[in-house]
Amino acid sequence: MHSAPSYSAPPREPLSNRLKSLFFNSPLDALVTLVCLFVFSYLIYSIVDWAFLSSVWRAEDEATCRETDGACWSVIDARHRIIFFGLFPYEEHWRSTVACVVMILTMIASCVSWFWTTVRLGVLWIAGFGLFYILMHGGIFGLSVITPERWGGLALTIFIFAAVSIIGMPLSVLLALGRRSKLPVIARLIGLLIDFVRSLPLLTILFTAAVITPFLLPGWLLGDKLYRVIAGFALFFACYQAENIRAGLQSIPSGQDEAGLTLGLNYWQRVSRIQLPQAFRNSLPAIVNQFVITFKETSIVTIVGFFEILASGAAAYGTGVWTVHYIEVYVFIGLIYFIFVFSLSRYGAHLEKKLRVGHA
Amino acid sequence: MPEEVKPGSVAAVTMTGVNKWFGDFHVLKEIDLSVADGEKVVICGPSGSGKSTLIRCICKLEDHQKGSINVLGTELNDDIANIDEIRREVGMVFQQFNLFPHMTVLENCTLALTLVRKKSRREAESIAMGFLEKVRIPEQSDKYPGELSGGQQQRVAIARSLCMNPEILLFDEPTSALDPEMISEVLDVMVSLAEEGMTMICVTHEMGFARRVADRVIFMDQGEIVEQNDPVTFFDHPGNERTKLFLSQILQH
Repeated sequence: MHSAPSYSAPPREPLSNRLKSLFFNSPLDALVTLVCLFVFSYLIYSIVDWAFLSSVWRAEDEATCRETDGACWSVIDARHRIIFFGLFPYEEHWRSTVACVVMILTMIASCVSWFWTTVRLGVLWIAGFGLFYILMHGGIFGLSVITPERWGGLALTIFIFAAVSIIGMPLSVLLALGRRSKLPVIARLIGLLIDFVRSLPLLTILFTAAVITPFLLPGWLLGDKLYRVIAGFALFFACYQAENIRAGLQSIPSGQDEAGLTLGLNYWQRVSRIQLPQAFRNSLPAIVNQFVITFKETSIVTIVGFFEILASGAAAYGTGVWTVHYIEVYVFIGLIYFIFVFSLSRYGAHLEKKLRVGHA
Repeated sequence: MPEEVKPGSVAAVTMTGVNKWFGDFHVLKEIDLSVADGEKVVICGPSGSGKSTLIRCICKLEDHQKGSINVLGTELNDDIANIDEIRREVGMVFQQFNLFPHMTVLENCTLALTLVRKKSRREAESIAMGFLEKVRIPEQSDKYPGELSGGQQQRVAIARSLCMNPEILLFDEPTSALDPEMISEVLDVMVSLAEEGMTMICVTHEMGFARRVADRVIFMDQGEIVEQNDPVTFFDHPGNERTKLFLSQILQH
């Protein structure tokens, strides 16, 4: 018996050879490579120099800011409370901090698959929002009352994002299913609603929710302006997300539903066990993208008078000696946005990988 | 000519004057068919002859527009409760397997047991493992369908149907999507089911299988039942010209 001859893959070329053939293949290549290297090094050096080498860090050293070309991080040291807490009363800032942490922990926990049952998610979110509300609003356990008009900064941004997601996500599933309903009246009406909302700018919807609904709705139905704005925002979010989910549903072969039918599963069993899990997996990138967009769009609530983190930032550099240091403030806020959005994207990528297990 | 049910046996499926249209296309024309309890029927015919549509009507994946279909003593109409009841007793095996790709083999099998039959998880798993052993694939129970070959997937699909303990099993071209070397493993499972007395209606072009297990072979063309007979007579002495032509086309190689 002869064993089959074994062929091994040809060895990879050493790194130095590959680099050479990629970047120094001809004199022109070499020139372009060197020029690019120089420009990049210069840019990176300038940024590092500005941010770290020539920068000033402590609030007391504000005077030295004027003598250096570097960043004046003193403005963050001095004014970070405004960025984080907006108009929230100074001596109650601890409440806002704890509320922020609670909400972030709630969001992180709901990314863990152990929580993915209706009951666990329900308990988690009711507890999370309840605690957040008690801390922020007060009026119980001896905490002083602070109305939503005075909420601000990071806590407000996170609250709006979380509330919009939590209301918007289930709503988007219902809208997506409704638009695919076999009853033409329901399918058409929901299709019309989705297309109508999607054809309006978010700004218009928030403005309507904040300013126009008070003229239309009776007082007892009105609720606080913040909640009206969140409701409008959630509707906007849901209409976009519904289309992402519908795309995911659309791409499931009809045989899947038929297999469920012949096993005797009813509509909700087929939807929850067969259709939605596959739809979420199919359109996960688009769904995560909508969350990313929504997190950043929370800054639009400034228009209707809320001091979320970006508006609070403007307030932070808006007085006295700090007015020249707006770049530092925006870089700082940019970093905060980056931390949230980047984590969200990485979590999305992780989910994609996890859900692909065994899927051909 | 309505087929008469064998004496002493009960009709599992009775179709009387069934008609169906897809738009203007008359896909089923005056179908009269009766299948006895425990009978194995093979339906063959050229593509577009309506054979898949016919068995899809039996588990109400398609609606018929005229005539009546009676399954296990229940009339198929638009009553939702009726339909669910029927579907629980009628299993279906599809050409494309239609396993749920996001669930393991075992989860595919236990899903309906827990949701529809209300079994506990442990009970459902032991039932499912029993049927996975029957189709000779228990070692794959933790894998996902995408990790299995076509033949393995189809055997899992059969096990999934069997878990519901159906009275009737419908097969819609179960081997047509398989690579040639995998066809026999699926047919072997179907033969052993037939030997155990399962009522089976199979749409298939596997004529060897038909000869071996069928009590009756039905030839359909252009939405009509053209000819039906026991396999020996059907293959050796086909009466109708269209049957002869079809048989010569599929058996010539």
